[in-house]
Amino acid sequence: MSTLDLIIGLLKILIILAIFMGLGAYLTWLERKLAGHIQGRIGPKLVGPFGILQPLADGIKLLTKESIIPSGADRVLYYISIAMALAPALMLFSVIPLGPEFTIFGKTVKPVIADVNIALLLIFAFGSLAVYGTIFSGWASNSKYAFLGSLRKASVIVSYEVVLGLSVLGIVLLAGSMNASKIVKAQEELGWFILYQPVAFILYLFCMLAESGRVPFDIQEAEAELVTGYNVEYGGIRFGIFPLAEWYLNVVALSSLAVLLFFGGWLGPSIFGPISPAVWFVLKVSVLVFFVLWLHWTLPRLQARDITHLGWKLMLPLALLNFVITAVISFVIFS
Amino acid sequence: MQWLDSSLSEQLKKVFPNISIEDGPYLSSISIPTDELLRFLSHLKSEGFKHFIDHTIVHHQAPERFEGIYILYNPELNKRALVRAFSKDSKLPSIEKLWPCAKWAEREAYDMFGVIYEGHENLRRMFMWEGYPYHPLRKDFPLSGPQDVELPSLTELYAGRDQEPSHDFELYHTKVATLQDLEKTQYSRLNKKAQLMLNWGPLHPGTHGTIWFLFDLDGERVVQSDVILGQLHRGMEKLAENLYYFQFLPYTDRMDYISAICNELAYVCAVEKLLKVEVPEKALYARVMFAELQRINSHLLWLGTGALDLGALTVFLYAFREREKIMDIIEGNAGFRLTSAFLRIGGLHYDLAEGTLDVVEAFVKDFPQRLSEYHSLLTRNRIWLRRTRDIGVITRQDVFDYGLSGPVARASGIAYDLRKLQPYSGYEEFEFDIPVGEVGDVYDRYLVRMEEIKQSIRIISQAISKLKKLPKSAPYVNKQHPSVMAPKEEVFKDLQDMVKNFRIVVHGESAPIGEVYSAGENPRGELGFYILSKGGSKPYRLRIRSGALYNLSIFPKLIKDGTIADAIALLGSLDPVVGETDR
Repeated sequence: MSTLDLIIGLLKILIILAIFMGLGAYLTWLERKLAGHIQGRIGPKLVGPFGILQPLADGIKLLTKESIIPSGADRVLYYISIAMALAPALMLFSVIPLGPEFTIFGKTVKPVIADVNIALLLIFAFGSLAVYGTIFSGWASNSKYAFLGSLRKASVIVSYEVVLGLSVLGIVLLAGSMNASKIVKAQEELGWFILYQPVAFILYLFCMLAESGRVPFDIQEAEAELVTGYNVEYGGIRFGIFPLAEWYLNVVALSSLAVLLFFGGWLGPSIFGPISPAVWFVLKVSVLVFFVLWLHWTLPRLQARDITHLGWKLMLPLALLNFVITAVISFVIFS
Repeated sequence: MQWLDSSLSEQLKKVFPNISIEDGPYLSSISIPTDELLRFLSHLKSEGFKHFIDHTIVHHQAPERFEGIYILYNPELNKRALVRAFSKDSKLPSIEKLWPCAKWAEREAYDMFGVIYEGHENLRRMFMWEGYPYHPLRKDFPLSGPQDVELPSLTELYAGRDQEPSHDFELYHTKVATLQDLEKTQYSRLNKKAQLMLNWGPLHPGTHGTIWFLFDLDGERVVQSDVILGQLHRGMEKLAENLYYFQFLPYTDRMDYISAICNELAYVCAVEKLLKVEVPEKALYARVMFAELQRINSHLLWLGTGALDLGALTVFLYAFREREKIMDIIEGNAGFRLTSAFLRIGGLHYDLAEGTLDVVEAFVKDFPQRLSEYHSLLTRNRIWLRRTRDIGVITRQDVFDYGLSGPVARASGIAYDLRKLQPYSGYEEFEFDIPVGEVGDVYDRYLVRMEEIKQSIRIISQAISKLKKLPKSAPYVNKQHPSVMAPKEEVFKDLQDMVKNFRIVVHGESAPIGEVYSAGENPRGELGFYILSKGGSKPYRLRIRSGALYNLSIFPKLIKDGTIADAIALLGSLDPVVGETDR
């Protein structure tokens, strides 16, 4: 690997970090604005025009707040779990290509940090790791509410994790690869995979909501009974990290993945000139993110036993059936 | 609704020759020696008086004479019975075997009067903390309050006092429960059997106030639970004994503060019965209109917070949008939004404000669309169904055993609605239906309340048309009655009115001797006032029968083997307001 590649790699990391941390923060603004309009309110409006500087104000507030660690907390785990929540959420973006490769100054650049063949596997691995942040934080806080919240998250992950993997297996079969770029390329020929795998998409959507702790699967932070559950003992920016990672970064990452897998990634008529792929990608991801936020402000939440019930008795058989049928049909067609 | 009087109780006399039946001017009561009380009550229960309404104590000033009052209801005959028995050495037999909800009523009586209930499984204080030195409702309770004590701040407690307190810092305070007291209270309630003891409250967003729940959890399954009440206990009944009748009216607002006008209505009806005050038509209809508006208001708050508890965040704000309009209507008339003190004994405080009827009419016209909006968000939502169906099923038997009332009772299929069974304030002139449920789960209670909102709208539109027919100058307060204060504007013009008002404000209304039990159908169930008057301008004993307290008393039974997530759904559907449970 040449020095240039290294520099380009570092640059990519910096850009992605900057974009997504900022995006995560601004999604809070978007969500509050959206929630406001859904509920017949205005939402943030005082800090800057349209309250556009609200995330900044929130950030400053969170950063300058005193943070209290409860007595009897496991201090090491208490801090580690913050990193455990944030790091996997950011790592997800390392294998998600944000567009097709392009040439700049005679150098071919892929807009992805690690263009690996096992991108899908990595994404699911990071997704599972992120859950540990939630579980550890509840354990480390020495609080019963937090503990119950993290237990609930554990029960959720047991329910959806298997389905999540199985739901995209059909795509892997169709595309013949686990590399995200190649999956998109396959869709260039075959058309969007949502046409072939509608059931898989719905299952994936459920799992995505569950992994990112969004309504109707937000039982780990049920504010009515568990007073926001696992992160109740965190204060200041230490608290801020959790929703940032779980509610925003995870949602964006998993929505991007959904777009790559089911909606043809950056494919679309090039009506925006050279930046057309990027625009399409951003547009598709935004629509999905919007959908998730919309659900959040509309539906009630399920409870743990319902999620287990749903996951094991309904979604898992469906996912298996979907996979088997896909396998048989693609075997018949492709061979 | 009639009382079981002497004409009806010949058969009872045959079985129990020792009973004596007194037909008072307001109600009939049956006296029975204490030894036979338990047998008599179980006989009454088997005779059909199976719905437990209330139990309380009256402390007569002669040395240590406590009189137990039991109010029962017979749903078949639509009759009530009031049974009284004097305690022996401050002891009464416990009737918790007959009616489980008497457990709480007896604990309250023990807390307030120090009466010992023989055979009670866990005779603990109900509202006051363990170690509280008094029984507050006894007549010998020091009204000036207990001695002030020096209470150090938390910092001083740990670091010691090293400097003089600043000038605005009072050293002496009324003695309140210390942390140690509260811990003792907590540990005396529940013996940990399972894995985890979870405290819910006293300050917890799910409890809708300051209730303190204790859950003994096995994973998330509730093995046993208890409720510690009293964080909002203000001694309403004691206050009432030391205030004139009209002075107590604003206090009733502060009981169930979500439905202030309904509370006032129940209270003024009781006092008007006692003082024999006729209320002019206009006031009657206006009262009904406002009470029903308040009922919608209250149900909207229940809907919003209940949905919020289950994670539906938006319904809350939609409900509050409509609530705000009702608040504005009330504010425009009473001058206050929440604790309005709008009714008066004998009528209303103000005449209806200019244009009120038009505003209410517009509201009534617009509201059904909003209601269907709520329905479309929740009623057929699969998640909502999953969270509410078959959760916390209350059987018909439970309704009688636990003295449930209001929408909670009706959702179990018992059409117990005082507006129909015992019409007050002119409800008999209105046409409306009583919605009842079938299963008695959380979902049924939701549907019943939603339907009640619809019926309230019907009542309001009838009230509007009735009010519109009355001339504008129709009297809104019966100022001819000697115990009713004249309207404010006339006081400044008329000497006679001024003198009368002056007399009432200084000396109070003079009530005849007698006892009254009158109840109103509140959004949270039957709110009853038992007033015992020994003459004079203050009640000798005023007992408030709170629907929310009895409705809450079934909570520990229902939540057993449920989860914490069920608990929140269940609590939302029982809809207690702490101001009323604690009083």
